[in-house]
Amino acid sequence: MSLGKRTLASLVGSSFLVAGAWGAALTADPAHLRHEAMETVQESFKPLRAIAVKETPFDAAVVKKNATTILEKLKEAHGLFPEGSGGGDSRAKAEIWSDRAGFDTAMKNAQAAATAMAAVTDEAAYMAAMKTLGGSCKACHDKYRLPKQ
Amino acid sequence: MRLPSRRATAAIALVSAVAAFVFWGLTRPDPLPASAIPAHTADRANGEVLYHAGSCFACHKPPDGAANPSLPSGGTPFKTPIGVFYPQNLTPDPETGLGRWREVDFVNAMTRGLAPDGRHYFPAFPYAAYRAMPMTDLLDLRAYLLSLEAVKAVHPPHTVPQLGLARRGVGLWKRIALARAPFLPASGGSDSWKRGAYLVNAPGHCGECHTPKSWLMIEDLNRYMSGGPHPGGEGKVPSLRGLLAREKYEDVSNLTLALQNGEELGYEDLSSGGMAAIQENLAKLPESDVRAISEYLLSLK
Repeated sequence: MSLGKRTLASLVGSSFLVAGAWGAALTADPAHLRHEAMETVQESFKPLRAIAVKETPFDAAVVKKNATTILEKLKEAHGLFPEGSGGGDSRAKAEIWSDRAGFDTAMKNAQAAATAMAAVTDEAAYMAAMKTLGGSCKACHDKYRLPKQ
Repeated sequence: MRLPSRRATAAIALVSAVAAFVFWGLTRPDPLPASAIPAHTADRANGEVLYHAGSCFACHKPPDGAANPSLPSGGTPFKTPIGVFYPQNLTPDPETGLGRWREVDFVNAMTRGLAPDGRHYFPAFPYAAYRAMPMTDLLDLRAYLLSLEAVKAVHPPHTVPQLGLARRGVGLWKRIALARAPFLPASGGSDSWKRGAYLVNAPGHCGECHTPKSWLMIEDLNRYMSGGPHPGGEGKVPSLRGLLAREKYEDVSNLTLALQNGEELGYEDLSSGGMAAIQENLAKLPESDVRAISEYLLSLK
């Protein structure tokens, strides 16, 4: 009986170890991390879209806050494309690595657009900044991202 | 080794000759005569709408660096599982474009997949969908294309193995693929829904990518718009069914906004696998047409 308990305890213990190791592997996986960063970008884009389609009024503070998050997360994601991190469930296209310079330019364009968006203080400049920012996402996704699997 | 007897050789030759004769007969092009074209005063504005609804430019765009990057002079490589195609110049240049095409030539290309000289077009050019377009719409589209600036553009030949034989063999494919009436749901919805059904299925040819194909490269209507392998090898094409139930879009207005703006407003599903170019063309349609497309697509359960 005590042997059974000990076995059970060690089983539980090792399963925690396995889960922990799996979690650690997941958090260290660049494909997973950049995906998380991009999800945050997408979430932060929603309040900006709401302003663009006039669901909510223009608010420079909301714009600045979300554009700043987008910029930070884009920079973070940009550093998470090491050679060989494509394939599997990742939507990253091989062109990211075969055309690294083009990809880096597209990523930097997006960061520049987010920087410009964070500095927008009036509604007149907002729509133009929005088109540039969204357009930069689109240009990169068109060339370097696979359709959703 | 024994050589085949004279009688066997004669038999093989006879069978081959009969097979070639049958193949030739079964693959014979069947063009419409010029007398089938009705008298029609072309409406170029309608032609322009159809041009964008069909995203003609997405495939017939010139290669990067062309002098007239916004005109459909063709020539950008179009990769398919059977080879690389260089789409036709659609501008009115008489040598390399549509300048010398008669009305019947254009209608035969769009509805029967036939070149003016009678050769078959490969179905990479989606005439299986375009054949659902009425003659008046086709003539309007032709008039719009002929109103564009002429660009002379010479393209490389398609790189398909056994090009000549394969091209003739398309005649066999047509016997099966075009025997079925074109898919065009026409009953059940509002006028806007019907307009959407037409734009999506006929000029829009959305099913070419969004409906999976059988081993004969014919759309499998049992799996209509349910997504499938990307024809250019870029992973998978998403399903367009149950967009509401799967909470991809909230309502018709929401999808309309997405199709009109794409990722410029953060609708990120509209930018990969070649969809960005399609969305840019759809954005040029009148709003009522984009709404019609949205209404139809959201009705697919």
